[in-house]
Amino acid sequence: MGSEIIVVIVVATALVFDFTNGFHDTANVVATSISTRAMPPRVAVGYAAILNFVGAFISLEVAATVANDVVSVQANSIGLLAVFSGLVGAIAWNLITWYFGLPSSSSHALIGGMVGAVFVAEGPDNVFFAEGILGKVMIPAIVAPVLAFVVGGLTIVFLYRIVGRLRPGPVTGGFRLGQVLSGGMLALAHGTNDAQKTMGVITLALVANGTLTEAEFHVPDWVVVSAATAIALGTYVGGWRIIKTMGSRIHKMDAAQGFAAQGSGATVILAASHVGFPLSTTHTISGAVIGSGAAKRLSAVRWGVAGNIVVAWILTLPAAALIGGLTYLVTRLFGTGAAGPIIVSTAILIGSAILFARRSREGAAPGVVPATGSSPP
Amino acid sequence: MIATVVDWDALLQVIWVSLLAGVGVTAAWAFAIVGASRALEHGRDRRTVETVLYATIGVAGLAVVLAAIVFSIVILTGD
Repeated sequence: MGSEIIVVIVVATALVFDFTNGFHDTANVVATSISTRAMPPRVAVGYAAILNFVGAFISLEVAATVANDVVSVQANSIGLLAVFSGLVGAIAWNLITWYFGLPSSSSHALIGGMVGAVFVAEGPDNVFFAEGILGKVMIPAIVAPVLAFVVGGLTIVFLYRIVGRLRPGPVTGGFRLGQVLSGGMLALAHGTNDAQKTMGVITLALVANGTLTEAEFHVPDWVVVSAATAIALGTYVGGWRIIKTMGSRIHKMDAAQGFAAQGSGATVILAASHVGFPLSTTHTISGAVIGSGAAKRLSAVRWGVAGNIVVAWILTLPAAALIGGLTYLVTRLFGTGAAGPIIVSTAILIGSAILFARRSREGAAPGVVPATGSSPP
Repeated sequence: MIATVVDWDALLQVIWVSLLAGVGVTAAWAFAIVGASRALEHGRDRRTVETVLYATIGVAGLAVVLAAIVFSIVILTGD
């Protein structure tokens, strides 16, 4: 009975993470559409939410990587507590970076949290540092934003050459229309890659509970539907401060750049999803946004903001791992039953409520993209 | 060590597909814009040949974009 309660808490925590993932990450997906006025903010967020939901159903390669190739957990309560603690590490890091308005990576927070918790709970042998973390997470994590940067840069050069002699009006209108497609594909790509990470973690918890065996890996349908719903809801609620950072503080974009950035980001994420690399949408779209800006004019990019983002990326894996490991130690203070997860979940809920209340009191104005569509400052 | 742990086939696939699809599909959309815009201009001037030519370019560009989207979803759903 105790382990069943822990499974319920782990699944609920995973879905909360998925919600925060949508809340935290998907704003990046719609930022360019809002920044170039291709879509009003509320429409862009609703559109992204729907396509995130749809995207969660189209592939399971990333879920397989997260469940099988990064860490391994024993089919016992220790394994369940490790999965729970890893999730808490990721959620805590997401909340911290959201509070300070820093784009980090929910994906790497999740993997960092899981690695830290499993490392402390089950020892280094259950963490696949070489082929899993280095080969399928770290190297793609470096390649993806650089690739998106290059593709974004090349794309904008080609676009300007192709439409260079046309009048600006039809060009802007055409690329804004194109952003409906490219923004939709980016949201679809985000749902595909990110919702699967939660599916992978829930599947890992089901393995730890003995409900599934590692040998017969499959993601149950209810896991797919619930992960898709959670990320879509998180997307809709939105993360306005992150929109501000990604959409206007890196550089001001025209519609062609927005289209180039979204198209480049979407292709990189979809290609990576196909081969099972758990990429970060934030990393990828940031690389594409900066690439599309740098190709036009290097001085147009606010490199200080881009530098802050890189620092947040570097911190994400170790910080989430540290929080995940510490969470496991705190949870174990209350034994191997359900008491630890209940107490820690309550604590993280209270902490989240405090952060949300403080953010609300400080007012939404500094981070909100103008609903009227006026130019961001 | 890195050489042995990285799935180079998968990584290279991501790189070439991203370059080809990213640049190719967005360029196709740009040609769709050029085609539509020029077709409208020539249509106003009653230049039938140019209008048809640019309209064909526009439709072809749009078709490439839509085909690429459908193709990518079909490939992914096959995973």
